[in-house]
Amino acid sequence: MKYLKIENSKGYYQLEPNKWVELDQIGKDDLLTLLDKAINDDFEMDDFDTETLGHKAHQIIYKHLYQKFNELKENKNRFKDESEQLYKSAIEKYSESLKSEVDSQNGN
Amino acid sequence: MKKIDLHLHTKASPISETEFVFSLSKLKEYVEKLSIDCIAITDHNLFDLEQFNEISGRLGNTVLPGIEIDLEKGHLLLISENTELNDFEIKCKQVENLIKNKAEYLTVRQLKEIYVDLAKYILIPHYDKNPIIRPEIIDLLKPHITSGEVTSAKKFKYCVNDPNSLVPVLFSDLRFKQEMTEFSPRQTFIDINDTSLRAIKTCLLDKNKVFLHHSEGHRFFQVFENGQKLSTGLNVIVGERSSGKTYTLKTIAAMYDNVKHIKQFELLETDEENDKKKFDELLTTKQSSVSEQFLKEFKDVVDDVKKIDRIKNVKIVESYLSSLLKVAADEEKKDVYSKCTIFNDSKFIETNNETLKKLISSTETLIENIEYRDLIDKHISKKVLLELVVDLMKKYVEVQEKNQKILWVNSLVINIKNELQSSTASAHIKDVAFYTILLEKEKLKKYETIATQIKRERTIEQTDVRRFKIVASTKIFNGAQELLNKSGIRATFSTAFNFYNHPIEYLEELKKIDRLPETEYYRYFVDVKYRIINEYGAEVSGGERSEFNLLDKIQNAHHYDLLLIDEPESSFDNLFLKNEVNEQIRQISKAVPVIIVTHNNTVGASIKPDFLLYTKKEIVNSKAIYKIYSGNPSDQKLKTIDGEEINNYDILLNCLEAGDIAYTERNQSYEILKN
Repeated sequence: MKYLKIENSKGYYQLEPNKWVELDQIGKDDLLTLLDKAINDDFEMDDFDTETLGHKAHQIIYKHLYQKFNELKENKNRFKDESEQLYKSAIEKYSESLKSEVDSQNGN
Repeated sequence: MKKIDLHLHTKASPISETEFVFSLSKLKEYVEKLSIDCIAITDHNLFDLEQFNEISGRLGNTVLPGIEIDLEKGHLLLISENTELNDFEIKCKQVENLIKNKAEYLTVRQLKEIYVDLAKYILIPHYDKNPIIRPEIIDLLKPHITSGEVTSAKKFKYCVNDPNSLVPVLFSDLRFKQEMTEFSPRQTFIDINDTSLRAIKTCLLDKNKVFLHHSEGHRFFQVFENGQKLSTGLNVIVGERSSGKTYTLKTIAAMYDNVKHIKQFELLETDEENDKKKFDELLTTKQSSVSEQFLKEFKDVVDDVKKIDRIKNVKIVESYLSSLLKVAADEEKKDVYSKCTIFNDSKFIETNNETLKKLISSTETLIENIEYRDLIDKHISKKVLLELVVDLMKKYVEVQEKNQKILWVNSLVINIKNELQSSTASAHIKDVAFYTILLEKEKLKKYETIATQIKRERTIEQTDVRRFKIVASTKIFNGAQELLNKSGIRATFSTAFNFYNHPIEYLEELKKIDRLPETEYYRYFVDVKYRIINEYGAEVSGGERSEFNLLDKIQNAHHYDLLLIDEPESSFDNLFLKNEVNEQIRQISKAVPVIIVTHNNTVGASIKPDFLLYTKKEIVNSKAIYKIYSGNPSDQKLKTIDGEEINNYDILLNCLEAGDIAYTERNQSYEILKN
């Protein structure tokens, strides 16, 4: 899904399909939501282009967000690897020990 | 067979011990009373030749000169031939001059420099005795060290049986002063005909030539100065009331340092509620490793997550965004500095190479493994693995190189940005590490899952202790008071407890409690409780708790040099004693000498002791005299040290069965009931 687009010389973002908002309206909660999307979903953006994006202020915001989200996209696999390894032994230990407890209660 | 004691003190060291007035007559009394063939004078870091000559003159040629040296933080006995005494005195004087306070000691090198030819002496380190000479120091002094000093018959026996131990020796380490009333029976018997240094030295090369007892090898050891022996296995003391049984036990307990003494009635519960509480506390302390083991991984998670500042992260995003919007809005106001691209450029992020490191190490394991070589080769050739590891390493170098460049560029960018920003009033975009923020968010999410999971109550371990089971289960905290009890500090947990079911907020609240050590947050999520259940799976009663305590104490006696048990029948029934206790006592007596006082036939006879002692009080001229008769349980007669005899059968029937008539009557009654 596309989250950043350039249209009529302006930059837009959306959190839900077809609810485009002008870039200068972006707030911190929206930004945090976009961050999650950038690392997890199929995150698409229009390429940054000063010719199509004429609005000077939008240019600045778009350029920076584009850079940051691109960085995250590039590190998506690394994030997944790291996240998968995160506290792995603890998660396994406490769910395993719970599982064997349930099994023994069920007489398995 | 000769009896030797090569560790005696006749003069106090001015730096390490309290002054005492040496009594030569006491030393003479000791040597004569205990029939010791050879002694060595070994004072701390000193040798007094004049005093030695005086002692030697009074005691004959049984005295060897020696010194106990502080060596590498341990103690070493160094014993010399009783010739060339002036030379020995000069050498010992050097030791005295080098060790001027408690913290000082000789190094191995200094020892060798002073005594030059160590082969001329007998060197005996504190071995299983504090302060020990460390094994690596002993190695440095080989082949001159062949024997080591221990403190008890148990340790002596252990060293004799352990092929890797030095030849053990047991010495008294006594200080001879006028006020002494009794002497330690700690000496060693060695299989020699004369007591020359050379003969003793040869004996100390061979474990088959050192003994605890003059005729019984290691099966017996001398317990009292009069020569009374005890088995290094299981001893039973019987006797009528007030015949000196408990007194004998107490005397033995007072003579040894490391004794486990289970006193009469000690384990019987008197105040159920209080005793149960104490029992539970004891159990929790003893089993704390189970709890630590269970919470180990959770502790690591909490230790990592506690560093995350959720609110600060939101603020960083907020401040990044507002600076970005402001810069965008101020576009027209840009000056020569803020127009530079680098003015608002952000830092590169470094690539984490931990995964690469793990991959390299795992591939290396596959390459190097010998145990499962065939299996690995079956699926993947070593050549492919080698190629893989080379590629991974190349990649690692590449990533490292890139990271180095990033570091270099980042530091340059920061410097330039700082300069540009300080030269203009224009707003600039604050930097933000979104990756780190996202990773921390992920960490919190996982922590929340784990913290919720860990609070699901469960049994984490069950340990069998004879017919009992120790069950360790987790239990959630039911209120702030429980958290407070757990902490043992004066603090308020009520606010934190309000968030108990919200792990992230709960941890944040715990962090606000000043007195709570931050390394202990993990302990306040779930508690581990212990309980003992019997063989029917039911909670144990007060009586069963006492039984458990007794079995537990016997089991733990492994750590002691002697186990003394006074009338266990006063607190326990016969079936328990026969089925549970007897077997365990027999087991432990293989490692630790055990002495049981009893009136009870289940303990006294059914346990099949190795040695039997009978105490008897006699009044002679209105004065009580306590006598000890002893012998093997199968002996017809038990004997005192002076050779007085008593009929073993009568003793056993009187003490354990209330006499012949009662025994016969009881047997008849049982026969009638049976038929």
